[in-house]
Amino acid sequence: METYVILRRGGWRTADDLRDAAERSTAEGERMPDDVRWIRSYVTAETDGRVGTVCVYQASSPEAIRRHASAADLPVDEIVKVADTVIVRPDPATVAA
Amino acid sequence: MHDQRMGIDSASTVQTAGLLERETALDSLEATLVAARAGEGRLVLVSGEAGVGKTALVRHFSDRSAPLRVLWGTCDALFTPRPLGPFVEIAEGAEWLRATLDRGGRAHDVVTSLLGDLTADSPTILVLEDVHWSDEATLDVLLLLGRRVASVPLLVLATYRNDELASDHPLRRVLGELGRSRATVRLALEPLSQDAVVSLAAPHGLDAAAVYAVTGGNPFFVSEVIAAGGDVLPETVRDAVLARVALLGPRTTALLEAIATLPPRAELWVLEAMVPESLVELERCLGSGILTEELHAVRFRHELARIAIEQSIAPNRRVDIHRRAFAALESPPAGEPDPTRLAHHAEAALDAEAVLRYAPAAAARASSLGAHREAAAQYARALRFADGLPMSARADLLVGHSFECMVTTRDEDALASTERAIECYRQLDDRLKHGRALTWRAQVQMNCGLAPAARQTALDATAVLKQVAPGHELAIAFCVLAGIALLSEEAGETVTWATRASDLAARLDDSEASLNALALSGAAAGLRGALEGTAQLERALALARESGYENQVGRDHVLLAMAASRERSLARMERYVQPGIDFCDERDLDVWGRILLATRSWLELERGDWQAAADTATLVLSQDCTLSCTQARIVLGLLRARRGDPDPWTPLADAADVAERTGLLWWTSQVAAAQAEAAWLEGKPAAVAGATAAAFARALELRSPWPLAELAYWRRRAGIEEEIPPDAGGPFAFQLNGDWRRAAELWREAGCPYEECLALSEADEEDALRRALDGSLRLGAGALARIVSRRLRDRGARGVRRGPRRATRANPASLTARELDVLALLSDGMRNAEIAERLFLSRRTVDHHVSSVLRKLGARSRGGAVAAAKRLGVLEDR
Repeated sequence: METYVILRRGGWRTADDLRDAAERSTAEGERMPDDVRWIRSYVTAETDGRVGTVCVYQASSPEAIRRHASAADLPVDEIVKVADTVIVRPDPATVAA
Repeated sequence: MHDQRMGIDSASTVQTAGLLERETALDSLEATLVAARAGEGRLVLVSGEAGVGKTALVRHFSDRSAPLRVLWGTCDALFTPRPLGPFVEIAEGAEWLRATLDRGGRAHDVVTSLLGDLTADSPTILVLEDVHWSDEATLDVLLLLGRRVASVPLLVLATYRNDELASDHPLRRVLGELGRSRATVRLALEPLSQDAVVSLAAPHGLDAAAVYAVTGGNPFFVSEVIAAGGDVLPETVRDAVLARVALLGPRTTALLEAIATLPPRAELWVLEAMVPESLVELERCLGSGILTEELHAVRFRHELARIAIEQSIAPNRRVDIHRRAFAALESPPAGEPDPTRLAHHAEAALDAEAVLRYAPAAAARASSLGAHREAAAQYARALRFADGLPMSARADLLVGHSFECMVTTRDEDALASTERAIECYRQLDDRLKHGRALTWRAQVQMNCGLAPAARQTALDATAVLKQVAPGHELAIAFCVLAGIALLSEEAGETVTWATRASDLAARLDDSEASLNALALSGAAAGLRGALEGTAQLERALALARESGYENQVGRDHVLLAMAASRERSLARMERYVQPGIDFCDERDLDVWGRILLATRSWLELERGDWQAAADTATLVLSQDCTLSCTQARIVLGLLRARRGDPDPWTPLADAADVAERTGLLWWTSQVAAAQAEAAWLEGKPAAVAGATAAAFARALELRSPWPLAELAYWRRRAGIEEEIPPDAGGPFAFQLNGDWRRAAELWREAGCPYEECLALSEADEEDALRRALDGSLRLGAGALARIVSRRLRDRGARGVRRGPRRATRANPASLTARELDVLALLSDGMRNAEIAERLFLSRRTVDHHVSSVLRKLGARSRGGAVAAAKRLGVLEDR
């Protein structure tokens, strides 16, 4: 599997909408365990008050990411392949939404 | 009769351990049964490591679902499994299925019988155990059931080990395809937690933490450790099983070893013949729980126990046991002996003569049932023992092996066996068979993409065959030469060879060769856009179908789809692609079926159904087959480039390698156009000249209208100033002449939304550019959308959307633009004929769109689709 960053900027109106989407994402991910693995996401605060995400996934192909997104009804602005990972510090503690 | 420890522990512990911490799994199964009761069947894939308790779970669930009917079939752990093995087992208690199998029924016949025997008021549970061992025909049944199960009262429970699936395991492809269906449910079983192990081990005075550490929570291992007792904990499953069997006493050994060599189940009549003196021990073994009883047969309760026993047999005794199994199976009390099982034991008994007697028979049987992978394995088995055979018999086996490999798209193996067979026939100076094998080799070479070599081989074949009286073989060799010329787009040469074939066929009154030639000369004209050629090809197809020349029917579908595909005539492609796939699927004509499937991915891409295109292309790539994979790679590369997704270049480079090897314009032009488009979309027009040079030169030589126009178009778009080729044809020719408006109309009529946007993107007026942008966003064509929106902003246009966000949000079911049009008219209550009229589409195309809309919205009726669309907000947004 390759690692990808997926931009879903301003995909949701509210944090609740995003939570629903995260549930769908998990459920659909379980249906295709050999093709996509959700690693982590950063929730973005957009200027228009909406929320979006920058997600890190491992996937068998860009098509698998698209399929997962379409099944879980998640927007995709852009998929970028990750060439290498540099971890300087662990992720900061989760902020309550 | 046995000691207390075994009486209490073994059987009950196995079952208890197998069901601990399985409440959630049982709830999931219950939910699927509720759906099945409502006529919405499910296919549940139960996976987990060996010994995790898949069988225990499924057994418990089906027991507690009584009185529902349960059909239970297990796949063989033979090196080469019996075709349709689990259904042979089920048929022992099911007359309706036995009749189908006795008739030589294949996968689709089994499915038809099964579905025909369901009752609406009470669902059936079908258990297929250990499908990681299943034969190809059983996998086909599983696939077909996966497609049909959603609308019938049937619950399919298929178990498999996920710890042993290599990346090229045939089950993976099936799992991939099944996984896309909404009716598929996955259930992955995990080992026991430490708490559960403690609750099992502590009552027996065992060190529970140590048991957990050594077993990793594997329920079977835990129960064996407990049953084995003793002071020292066994370190492996095998040790545990052998320690436990030791408690049964030495007299049971011969019996257990015999049963262990007869997977998946040992019939009592076989055991009686093999180990008559040990049968008295059966009761003791059953009582201990290591064996379980079935109708006139016994089996190990757990496969891991069987393997442990089998592996503990000393090599010299192993040969003897297999020899006795062979002798027993060779004279069954009723019916015919089973060649698959006999071949298996003959090989293990190192009995060459017996292998050569039964393996070819097993191969022929597997082949006739559509289990070609197993057939190839049986031929390979026979060949391992064929050193002592006369050369002609060995060569015949090699031809059989080659054929089965080719059908299962193992091109390289097919080629290797063919070459060895040719060498034998040459030495034997058997000219007829030599020539026939050369013709066959030419066909295999074509499938490997080795066109120049194939032509030479086919010429050699005619030279050899002319040394005997001209017959069917020579006519077919002429046809193969015509086919090679056809794909090389040398129309004149195609007709020359086809005419020689048909003249000879007429003299011989050989209708097969004559129809073959008729099809090929028609195709030669069809590929150049002549409709009368296509009509001739269609006529040949109809006659081949009437005469039952199945291979030719499959091939003719491919030729028709090719001609339509080059002209982007999607309506005509629809007419041949899916019906061709269905025809080939039912008859296991993989060679043509895979190519048609790959062509379908191209059709889906062009139609604007990109999700489907990606799924189909991925499916094609899951099976190694040179040409279909090349087509799929072109589609995948284009798809990534158009979406703006990473890495369009790897699949295109792989496709380019094969294209170059074939030297056929059919492939080189497709790859060159795709590479040019990808380069242009990435903003690297300088790469277009190099990518297209060779194919463009060849298209000029062959004056092939469509490839010429498309390649010239990309060269012009990349800024190359050159004369417009006079032979250029199709909408791209209008674009070359600057008439984007007419081209866009033509693309719209053809049903190619992406090419329509591409044409509109050349416009120098805001309205057309906005249509190009909207269309691209709706398709998910991120790369083109970015280019067009930049152009719009450069022109000073306001409010230009930058991304596909809104379109995606408004269209959660990922319907295509055309499907949204159809849906809107559906919601107005229009019938398909009215929609067809309104949208200027054929009835057939509208039928297709409607069923696609229903599928994507998960609706079973038109009303349901409209309701679902409203619920999802798809309709309001329009």
